[in-house]
Amino acid sequence: MPEKTYLQAISDGLRQEMRRDKRVFVIGEDVGVYGGAFKVTQGFQEEFGPWRVIDAPLAETAIVGGCTGAAIMGMRPVAEMQFADFVSCAWDHLVTVAAKQRYRAGTPVPIVVRCPSGGGFSGGPFHSQNPESSFAHIPGLKVVCPATPEDAKGLLVTAIEDPNPVLYFEHKHLYRRIKADVPDERYTTPFGEARIHREGEDVTVVTWGAMVYTAAEAADKVAEEDGVSAEIVDLRTIIPWDKKAVLASVEKTSKVVVLHEDTQTGGFGAEIVATIAEEAFEQLDAPVKRIAAPDTPVPFSPPLEKAFLPQVEDVVAGIRELVSY
Amino acid sequence: MAIAREAEPVGSLTEIQELGLDREDLLDIYRHLLVTRGIEERGHILYKQGKIPGSFYTGRGNEAAAVGIAMAMGPDDVGTPLHRDMGVHVVRGVEPWRIFAQFLGLIAMVSHLPAMVPVAVGCALAFRIREERRVAIGWFGEGASARGDTHEAMNLAGVRRLPVVFICDNNQWAYSTPTHLEYACEHIADRGKVYGFEGVVADGTDLLAVFREAKRAVEKAREGEGPTLIECLTLRMEGHAVHDDAFYVPKEMFEEWAKRDPLERFRSWLRENADFTDEQESEIRGDVKKLLNDAIKRAEESPLPDPSTLLEGVFATPEDLETPHHK
Amino acid sequence: MATGTLVDVVMPQMGVSVSEGTITKWVKSEGDPVEADETLLEISTDKVDTEVPSPASGVLQQILVPEGETVAVGTKLAVIAPEGVEAAAPAEAPPQEAPPAEAVSEPATGEAAAEQAPAPTPAAAEAQAGPADGEAEGARFVSPVVARIAAEHGVDVSQVPGTGRAGRVTKKDILGFIESGALAPTPTIAPPPAAPAAVPARPERVSPAPEPPQAAQEGESVEPMSAMRRGIAEHMRRSLDTSAHVTSSIEVDMSKVAAIRRKLKTEYQESYGVNPTYLAFVARAAVDTLRDYPWVNGELRGDSIVTRNYVNIGFAVELADGKGLIVPVVKNAETLSLLGMAKAIADLAARAREKKLLPEDVQGGTFTITNPGGYGTFHGTPVISQPQAAILGTYAVVKRPWVVQDEMSEDVIAIRMIMNLTLTYDHRLVDGALAGRFLRDLRERLQTWGESDF
Repeated sequence: MPEKTYLQAISDGLRQEMRRDKRVFVIGEDVGVYGGAFKVTQGFQEEFGPWRVIDAPLAETAIVGGCTGAAIMGMRPVAEMQFADFVSCAWDHLVTVAAKQRYRAGTPVPIVVRCPSGGGFSGGPFHSQNPESSFAHIPGLKVVCPATPEDAKGLLVTAIEDPNPVLYFEHKHLYRRIKADVPDERYTTPFGEARIHREGEDVTVVTWGAMVYTAAEAADKVAEEDGVSAEIVDLRTIIPWDKKAVLASVEKTSKVVVLHEDTQTGGFGAEIVATIAEEAFEQLDAPVKRIAAPDTPVPFSPPLEKAFLPQVEDVVAGIRELVSY
Repeated sequence: MAIAREAEPVGSLTEIQELGLDREDLLDIYRHLLVTRGIEERGHILYKQGKIPGSFYTGRGNEAAAVGIAMAMGPDDVGTPLHRDMGVHVVRGVEPWRIFAQFLGLIAMVSHLPAMVPVAVGCALAFRIREERRVAIGWFGEGASARGDTHEAMNLAGVRRLPVVFICDNNQWAYSTPTHLEYACEHIADRGKVYGFEGVVADGTDLLAVFREAKRAVEKAREGEGPTLIECLTLRMEGHAVHDDAFYVPKEMFEEWAKRDPLERFRSWLRENADFTDEQESEIRGDVKKLLNDAIKRAEESPLPDPSTLLEGVFATPEDLETPHHK
Repeated sequence: MATGTLVDVVMPQMGVSVSEGTITKWVKSEGDPVEADETLLEISTDKVDTEVPSPASGVLQQILVPEGETVAVGTKLAVIAPEGVEAAAPAEAPPQEAPPAEAVSEPATGEAAAEQAPAPTPAAAEAQAGPADGEAEGARFVSPVVARIAAEHGVDVSQVPGTGRAGRVTKKDILGFIESGALAPTPTIAPPPAAPAAVPARPERVSPAPEPPQAAQEGESVEPMSAMRRGIAEHMRRSLDTSAHVTSSIEVDMSKVAAIRRKLKTEYQESYGVNPTYLAFVARAAVDTLRDYPWVNGELRGDSIVTRNYVNIGFAVELADGKGLIVPVVKNAETLSLLGMAKAIADLAARAREKKLLPEDVQGGTFTITNPGGYGTFHGTPVISQPQAAILGTYAVVKRPWVVQDEMSEDVIAIRMIMNLTLTYDHRLVDGALAGRFLRDLRERLQTWGESDF
């Protein structure tokens, strides 16, 4: 199996689907000639032409609204937000139109909105956010946050196949930093099935996206220094989310850290924690701990951004706190 | 100074026959107009009887614009009409009983939503990508013309010369806000030019004028010559919704526009140009009355939705893709 | 524990295995002035009924738990506003410091908490605080998962050594405890639980979820179970599920004992204020006999058999209201003479009836004597107090025609004071023959009691 970066995996998955299915097209800002701000669609326009790799005006509403119309007409649009932060410009069309179209009119809207998300490189408040929880709150939308190259490809294919609007949050910090084996052939990764990134006995860390790696480093550290075995549950998809896997892990370890890069208040971690409290109360041997970014915009200055993003040490401290409880 | 072209009135039966409508079509149009107005009048009564929940919106004064545009659409064309465009649904074959059933809260069905212009553009984009000879119609009110998505949609359509026709239902009032507080150009249609396509202002009470402009724009789009923006100027002859008595609309304005009632204008035209007889008219009126009576009866007999179905349809299933569009 | 300047009254932990208590009576009412150590309320737990003294002098500002309610140990019951302190809304307690590391490995026990000096607050510095303090509070917190496992396995959480924060019992602790087979209702004083090697887990009992209380049918009246009743019910059931109960009986001619008893009675009463009861004789004889049969005084601890060089005898005592039973323990009974035994029994019985028992008074038994004979019963099959191996039942001493031999070694019928004794034993450890020999030797001791024996 060839080793690929997270970015290559997304690109390969998209290209594979476009070769396979003529209904799939890409639209976004600078996705054509330039190949996308992060080069996910590099070389696509040469292969698929300007009507399947469409350079759009700076108009997220038109991009997402246009995708909605095209999807209703039977296409399988994949929109690229240049940064996930910009998806707020398309909020109305995602939330008011795309998310409710099936409900109010019976017509499915199979669109994928790719959202390069996340911080860690001084992108500042408008190029670093993780807005997944906002969309998780909207009935009718699906929300995907792959962590590994293999999942990035498999989940993208599933997202394109899915008959609903899917927000696909690809973490920019993983693009070129994470490399792993990715099958060449076409495959799908199911929505709503978490992946156990690491098995453990003493404490569960529920997370997704780039934080899977932060959790993994923390787990290595407590394993080595404290002999503590931490289990990492990578949700992979936020809507739907794998409640069963989380509750099973809670049953095993009885101690849970919910970790995410998004800010804490109203973050999706709150939903997970609330579910654990409702459905696994009698499994708990310690308070459930949330580790998330503080409730501020993402800072630009490196020391501030470091303080903002959950760090390995924060997770280590959280695990230790629960283990010693 | 106006930039948009002003639509000419249609003079004779010959002119309209050249555009593809025969006399039977014209009688059908009259029938559609009566059904459109009848549905809204009956709906208004049902609302006052306490049978319709929520509020109730009508398109009185806009019937000709709606029916005229819809008549210009080809069978495979699509559109995103507004709630003031009941006539589009009537022409496109939605059965009146379903409309009543929806009013009564008995069945969930297509509801209006005025942010569909980008969606119409997206439909046109799909046609363009697939190189299909189909056209999308995107409706918006002059109120929504102030919104960014209208701009974004028309800009994208202009840039890509998409097969789309934009219809602005300009009824001169966004709820209580008059046009001079909504936009500063003379006509909304003036904006077509800045997006790189033609803008036309039509008298929205003149069905045939609207039809002729729509027919031209649709065929132009079908031929790959890009979008057109048609502004249909009318007056909203009732309040924003039934709870609104429109006290803010000058009485003279209502009186002036009442003289241009679209149904009456079309009826007169038929009388003067198409040998429309009393017998034909009373036969059509009788048919429409029966149609609406039966429709209300059927709607009222329909069961209310079962609360157990509450969660249905939030997410689409793969089976939902089994539609002609997705094949 | 005090919040701000106010002093909290909390449900004390009356013994390591006690997790909750019932308020039987508030002696003081809200607004009453109270002295430190003055009785505030009476409580009933599954181990003891007792009075709770006020932790401070002042005014009983607020009663938080009404009579009849059963609450967890550590629950705040009332607030005392010390003298000179304005009654005010209690502030949040400051976060509790974790105990020093070496303390964490100690089993979190109620006694430990009770023995610790209370943390005095400035306002209540001179007042005797109740037995709870911050650390004990932490030790007593039972997490949801631990509570569930404890309920499913019938484990008293407070028996489980805790390794969590402030000695809290963690899920791992309780699972390890169950796996080690250490599941036992009362703790043993010694030896320390160092030896319990790998032991097969006891059969798991899955407790069905408690039925919701049924409404009273016509002619019925329904009252909630007291904490003590629930404790007894749980222990009895668990004992029958644990030990292989077998009962053997023997008839003992108590005529000699009766004669000596008559003689000693006046002396004992005048000099020491106690009665030389039949029970004291039996207990005294039993202690000696137990020393010859260490397994009867022993315990099955997992795969191991525990024997002791001491005897702690528990005596089942009925409470004054007839609604419960308590088993105070005479410690190191092997060191007691007949007089000492009589005094010890009398003291414990009195304190039990007056609800003055201390937690340690009901712990650590190695053998139990129950004495239902006072009502004339002549036989019974009592239930073993876990984790002991046997329980001795003593029954009514009655005059019966008895075949004896006269000086000529001829059989004659005489009137004799006869008492039945039963030994109910755990057949897993004690075989029938061993029990028979034990009873035979015990009978021999009682029938041959000499005037010089004491």
